[in-house]
Amino acid sequence: VRADDMMPNIPKTPRQRKEPMGVLEQARARLHVSAVPESLPCRELEFGNIYSFVEGRLLDGTGGCMYISGVPGTGKTATVHEVLRCLQEEVDESNLPEFQFVEINGMKMTDPHQAHTQILKALTGQKATPEHAAEILDKRFNTPAPRRESTVLLVDELDLLWTRKQSVMYNLFDWPTRPQAKLIVLAIANTMDLPERMMMNRVSSRLGLTRMTFQPYTFRQLQEIVMSRMKGLQAFEDDAIQLAARKVAAVSGDARRALDICRRATELAELAKTPGRKTAALVNMTHVDTAVQEMFSSPKIMAIRNASLQEQLFLKAVVAEFRRSGLEEATFLQVFQQHECLCRLDGVTVPTMSQLSGVCSTLGASRLLLVEVGKSDLSQRVRLNVSQDDVMYALRDNN
Amino acid sequence: MSKRKSSGSAVVSESACYLELQKVLRQQIYKISAPCDVDGESDLDKPRRHLLDLIQRCSSMGESNSALIIGPRGAGKTMLLSSVLEDLKENRDFRDNVLEVHLNGLLQTDDRIALKEITRQLQLENVVGDRVFGSFADNLAFLLEALKKGSRDSQAVLFVLEEFDLFAHHKNQTLLYNLFDIAQSQQAPITVIGLTCRLDVIELLEKRVKSRFSHRQIHLFNSLTFDQYLEVFESLLTLPSEFSDKKFCAKWNKHVQNLSEDQGVTSILKKLYDTSKDIRTLKTFLMLPVARISPSHPRLEMADFVEAHKLLTADSKSNTLHGLSVLELCLVVAMRRLSDIFVNQPFNFQMVYNEYQKFVQTRSHAVQSFDRPVVLKAFEHLQQMELVRAAEGSGTGGRGQKEFRPMLLMIDKSQLMQAIQKYPACPTEAQARVQV
Repeated sequence: VRADDMMPNIPKTPRQRKEPMGVLEQARARLHVSAVPESLPCRELEFGNIYSFVEGRLLDGTGGCMYISGVPGTGKTATVHEVLRCLQEEVDESNLPEFQFVEINGMKMTDPHQAHTQILKALTGQKATPEHAAEILDKRFNTPAPRRESTVLLVDELDLLWTRKQSVMYNLFDWPTRPQAKLIVLAIANTMDLPERMMMNRVSSRLGLTRMTFQPYTFRQLQEIVMSRMKGLQAFEDDAIQLAARKVAAVSGDARRALDICRRATELAELAKTPGRKTAALVNMTHVDTAVQEMFSSPKIMAIRNASLQEQLFLKAVVAEFRRSGLEEATFLQVFQQHECLCRLDGVTVPTMSQLSGVCSTLGASRLLLVEVGKSDLSQRVRLNVSQDDVMYALRDNN
Repeated sequence: MSKRKSSGSAVVSESACYLELQKVLRQQIYKISAPCDVDGESDLDKPRRHLLDLIQRCSSMGESNSALIIGPRGAGKTMLLSSVLEDLKENRDFRDNVLEVHLNGLLQTDDRIALKEITRQLQLENVVGDRVFGSFADNLAFLLEALKKGSRDSQAVLFVLEEFDLFAHHKNQTLLYNLFDIAQSQQAPITVIGLTCRLDVIELLEKRVKSRFSHRQIHLFNSLTFDQYLEVFESLLTLPSEFSDKKFCAKWNKHVQNLSEDQGVTSILKKLYDTSKDIRTLKTFLMLPVARISPSHPRLEMADFVEAHKLLTADSKSNTLHGLSVLELCLVVAMRRLSDIFVNQPFNFQMVYNEYQKFVQTRSHAVQSFDRPVVLKAFEHLQQMELVRAAEGSGTGGRGQKEFRPMLLMIDKSQLMQAIQKYPACPTEAQARVQV
C-alpha cells in the first residue's frame, strides 16, 4: 500500500441504481444532507468574509490564519468548501494566481501527529513518518522559493490536534508567519474560546485575532434552507416546513437535523399514501409532527410502561425510598424493604433477593436506573436516571 | 393426566419418537428467530417496515442512512435485524448490491481492531488471506480513501454495530464519526445500524458525532400481554406438522393446549411474566421440563413446572446458608444481631466473637463453645464466601489486623429466617436468637 500503485476501491455494482421517481422520492434525494447545493443560503456574509480573507492573501502572496467556530451543523465546512470552489473558478479564469488546496480533519486521523504525514502526502505525494514529515515540511516552508504557489490548508476539528506539548498546533500556526511559506490556514472547531482555553499563549498569539463565529440557524433561515432545496418541487405544505424549522431552531439550530426531519416526514407521507392513488399526497403537518416526535421524544416513559410488573414495582419502591429518606440515592437493601411492603400491599408474591437483583440489573442495563456494579451486593447504591415525576406519571395510568 | 399406554411392539418406534421430539423442541426453544412469527406481529410490524425500507433504499437508490435499534435485553433486536436481512437476501439484486460488515462492541474493543475487521470483511486490497497489513493510521486512511473514491454506483455497504454503546467509549469516537460522516456525504452509499440496550445512548455521543447521526431511533419493547405470552408458551412447545409420527404429534399438541389452559401452569407462568416479560426467560424456564421428557416420563406434568420455577427463582444466599456448619451459622446469627443493634454499622471480628461468647455462655448449653482460632477460621470462611465483606471506605487492603477490620454482613434478616427454618437440625437456641 505504501507504494501508490494500489488504489483502494469498493467494487462497482453490477446493476444500475434506480433514479428517484415521483415527487416524494425526488424530494428525499434533495433533502439528503449530502446533496449540498451550489450556493448555501443564509451564509452570504460569512462567505464574503472568508472569501475576501483568502483572496487578499492569495493576491498579496502572503500567509495567514483564520479561526472559524460554531456549533455542529451550522455550515462551517460547507461554506469553506464553497469559498474554495469559487476561488478555483477564478483561478481557472486566471484572475487569481494558482494555489494548492489541502484538507485535513482531526477526527480522521488516529493521532494528532499524523497531521504532518497527511499534509506532506497531500502536498507532494510522499509518505513519511510523522517526525520526518514535520522536518520536511519545516524545511519546505522555511526555504525561499519564488515560484512556489500559495497553499490553502483547511484544518477541520482543530481541537483534536491538541497534544500536551501542542507541537502540531504550534507548527500549523507558525508556518504561515514565515515570509516564504505562502500558507493560508483556515482552522475550524466548535467552541468559540478554544484558543484561550486550550492553547498556550505562544500558540494562540500565532493564531491571531482573525476569527469568525457561525451562529446557529434561526427558524427563518432553516425554513429558507429547506425551501431552497425544494425549489420547483411541490412536496411540502408550507406550514409543515415551518413546523420542522421552528422545532429544530428551538433546540439546536442544526441544519442537519432539520433536513433529517423533513426527509423522515417524506417517508411517513409515502407510507400513509392510500394504495389506490398513484401519487402520494403532500407532506403535511401531521407527518412532520410524527417525525419530530420520533427524533426528539424520550422513550423512557414508554419503556417504564412496558416494563414487567416487578420492574415497575421496583421503580416505585425506589421513588418511595427517596421520598422517605429525602435523598436521591438508596442502597439495594433499603429498596428491597420498600419493595417487600409494596408487594404485600398489592397482593403480589414477594420475589426473592436473587430475583430482585436480577430485576435491578435489567433496569440498570437499560439505564432507567443508575446502579453500581453488582459486586457490592446489598450495599449497592441505586439512583434514578429519570425524574421521579416521570416514573409516577408513567405508572399512574396503568392501574 | 393418565400415562400413555405403551404396547410392546411400539416400544422402539416410541423411543425414536421421543428422540425426535427432544430434538425438535430443543431446536424450537434455542432458535433465536422462533417466536416472532406468532406473537406481536402488529407490534413489530412498524419497526420492521421502517428497517426494511431503510436498507432496501440503500441498496436500490444508493441513499445513505443511519439508525439505532434500541430496546431492553431480550426484546428481539438482533432477531428483527436478521429476519429483515434474510427477507432482503432472497432478492438477487440485493445480494449483488450490498456488502455486509458486522461488528460487535464486545469483540472490537478499540478502533484499531474494528478497522482491521472492517477491512477484512470488505476484502479491500490490503488484505491478504485473513491478515490485514499496515499500521492503524494506514488502515484508517486506506478505508476512508476507498469509501471516498466510491460514488453512487459502488456497492452499498451495510454496517451493523452490535453493542453500539461500547463503540461510543472508544477514544474520540473516531470510528463512529467517520461512519456517520460518510453516511452524510457524497461517497459510497452506506447504512449504519446500531443495536443497543441503553436508552440514553444518544447522550453518550459527542456533539459532532451526534449532529452527524440522523436521529432515527427504532424502539423495541417487551410489550407482550399475558395472553400473547401464553400463546408464545404454547407455540414453543407445539410440535410442527412435519413431525413424522402424526398420531403422536396430534396427541402431544392436544396435551400442550390443555397445559396452556391449566390453572396451575398459567399461575406459574404469570409469576414468571410478572418478573420479566422477555421471551428469553421463558425459554430458559421451559428447557428444564422439556429435558425431562422421555418414554418413562411421557408428559409434561404440573410438578415439572413447579420444580423448574423453584430452581429459577431460588434465592442464592439462602441456599448458601444451608451449606454452612453450625458454628458458622451461629456466627451469622451473631452478626445479624450486631447489625440490628448498631443499625447497619460495620463491625469487626472481635465484636462478633464477644457476641458469640455471650450466646454460648448465657443461653446455650448444647452448642459447644469453640476456641477463638476455630471461630476465626469460620469467620474467614464466611468472608471467602462473600457473605461478610470489608466495609466500604475502610480501604484496608492488607493492612491492619484481620480481627479488627470493619466488616458488613451481606444477608438480610428475611433471608436468614428462611434459611434457619429449613436448616437441618438447627440448634433451637440459634433459632430463638434470630426471632428475638
